[in-house]
Amino acid sequence: MNFISLQQVGWIAGNTFLEAVRQKFFNSVLLIAVALVASSNFFQQFDFGTSELKFIADFGFGALFFFGSILSITVTTQLFFNEIENRTALTMLAKPVHKVSFLFGKWAGVQLLMLAFVALLCALLAVILYWRETSLMAEQRYEIFSEEGILRYSDIALFGFLQWLKFGLLSAITLFIASFSNTSIYTMIVGFCALVVCQLQYIARDAYAEMDQGLGRLLVQGIGLAFPNFQLFNVGDQLLFLTEETLPAGITVRMALYAGIYVAAFMLLALASFRHREI
Amino acid sequence: MSVAAITIKDLTKDFSVGMTGVKVRAVDSLNLEVRDNEIFGLLGPNGSGKSTTIKIVLGLLGASFGECLIYGKPSHAVEARRSVGFLPEAPYFYRYLSGRELVCYYAKLCGVPRREISDAADSVIELVGMTEAAPRRVGTYSKGMLQRIGLAQAIVHDPQLVILDEPTAGVDPLGSAAIAEIIRELKSRGKIILLSYHLLAQIEGLCDRVAILHRGHLVREGSIDELVTESEAESLIVEGLRPDGKIAVEAAIAEAGGRWVRREKPRLSLDTLFLNEVQRLEKERSARAAEEKGSS
Repeated sequence: MNFISLQQVGWIAGNTFLEAVRQKFFNSVLLIAVALVASSNFFQQFDFGTSELKFIADFGFGALFFFGSILSITVTTQLFFNEIENRTALTMLAKPVHKVSFLFGKWAGVQLLMLAFVALLCALLAVILYWRETSLMAEQRYEIFSEEGILRYSDIALFGFLQWLKFGLLSAITLFIASFSNTSIYTMIVGFCALVVCQLQYIARDAYAEMDQGLGRLLVQGIGLAFPNFQLFNVGDQLLFLTEETLPAGITVRMALYAGIYVAAFMLLALASFRHREI
Repeated sequence: MSVAAITIKDLTKDFSVGMTGVKVRAVDSLNLEVRDNEIFGLLGPNGSGKSTTIKIVLGLLGASFGECLIYGKPSHAVEARRSVGFLPEAPYFYRYLSGRELVCYYAKLCGVPRREISDAADSVIELVGMTEAAPRRVGTYSKGMLQRIGLAQAIVHDPQLVILDEPTAGVDPLGSAAIAEIIRELKSRGKIILLSYHLLAQIEGLCDRVAILHRGHLVREGSIDELVTESEAESLIVEGLRPDGKIAVEAAIAEAGGRWVRREKPRLSLDTLFLNEVQRLEKERSARAAEEKGSS
């Protein structure tokens, strides 16, 4: 049985992306994020030297995480409920389209949008860092600058990729919530709560590591497994400077697998719930 | 014998309401069959179960009991929907797409081969009379235009069965007449059309057979003639009869063993009156324009 059509997923994703980039909300968030990252350049009067570069990088990574998380939850919610409330989902699902194609199409469309967002912010951050690094090198005030500079720019793309994986996970969680929720506001609130839980999930992991065997430990362990650990993706501190080792490729692949497994699990849960939903 | 387009057997649908899960029956033991090359009307007031029945036929809802088949395949199977086109009530489409892009998008989703999409879209857009407006964004369309582009997306993959939920809801009589004409054209192309309506006058001249639903039950089913003809009575329409002539007719009817039931003036429906008047004015306007053109 042809359960999922990748071509249909592609068409739906393309249309979802088109709808998303036309939303005022996306454009507003994008503009604010770009303005914020660009403004980090004006902190050069602090004259921190290499710390200044670190500051700009942290500022950019922070903006990427903060605005990306907001975008991921709100855009997924909006795009899903637009289809339900405007009954365009009714027209689509009355055609030979599986509900799984619909859900994955929505998810993939949001991922395309997040890819554009991440790529733009990373490119902007790289330009600002390069400009500042070359100007600091020209001043030749700091001994630590070697001929080839001190920044590894490929790490910006690596950080962007890891954040994009995290946004994909967040989007899958939001779709799961939307699949049984009746209102977009409920979906967004629960989505943001899930984000906080996933950010702080390491606390549960630390807790059950120290707990004795028993029901309590099983419970905390269950919570620790049910929610992905978003801290794994926050590797910005270890990246970027040539003095630090970059993330080994094996770890990046394992993190991609980790994200993939959780995305698949949440999408299956979303499908199980959405299958019985009245459109 | 060929397989019926839609076969509904003992179909029942219950909805759970509220926290207590109280069951509300939307469709109750419905039996229906929609056959080849007919326009079938599903009639009934709001809340009679028409939309629920259509959603079950489209596989968007599961039945609580009974079965629904499309050309012999269970309606919940995605495969069954390959031969079905659907126009929802008061359709809403992606406002940022042009009419043509919208029809092409749905053609792709329905699996129309890539090289045929453009021709298929142009052909149905022409059929629904939207060729001029097709490059415009859907967000700028009137209700009538939305219904027509909705019809185009419903038939772009050349389905054998077309389901239209209140296709003229909110559309003016001229637009309704145009949509009715498209539906007749579809029938002439061998399509089977299932219509859902709550305005009975609009469906009368269009459907071959109708089913009337009320509170989920099938009340009546049959051809329009079977259902609306008073088999025991005959009407006689006369013109220019003098009063003494009327008395003589009454006497003749009584003498022949009949009974004079009522005397009434034949009436036009308001729809027909409106259409006749608009068409007369349009003809006059065209004639005047032609005259002015000729004289200049």
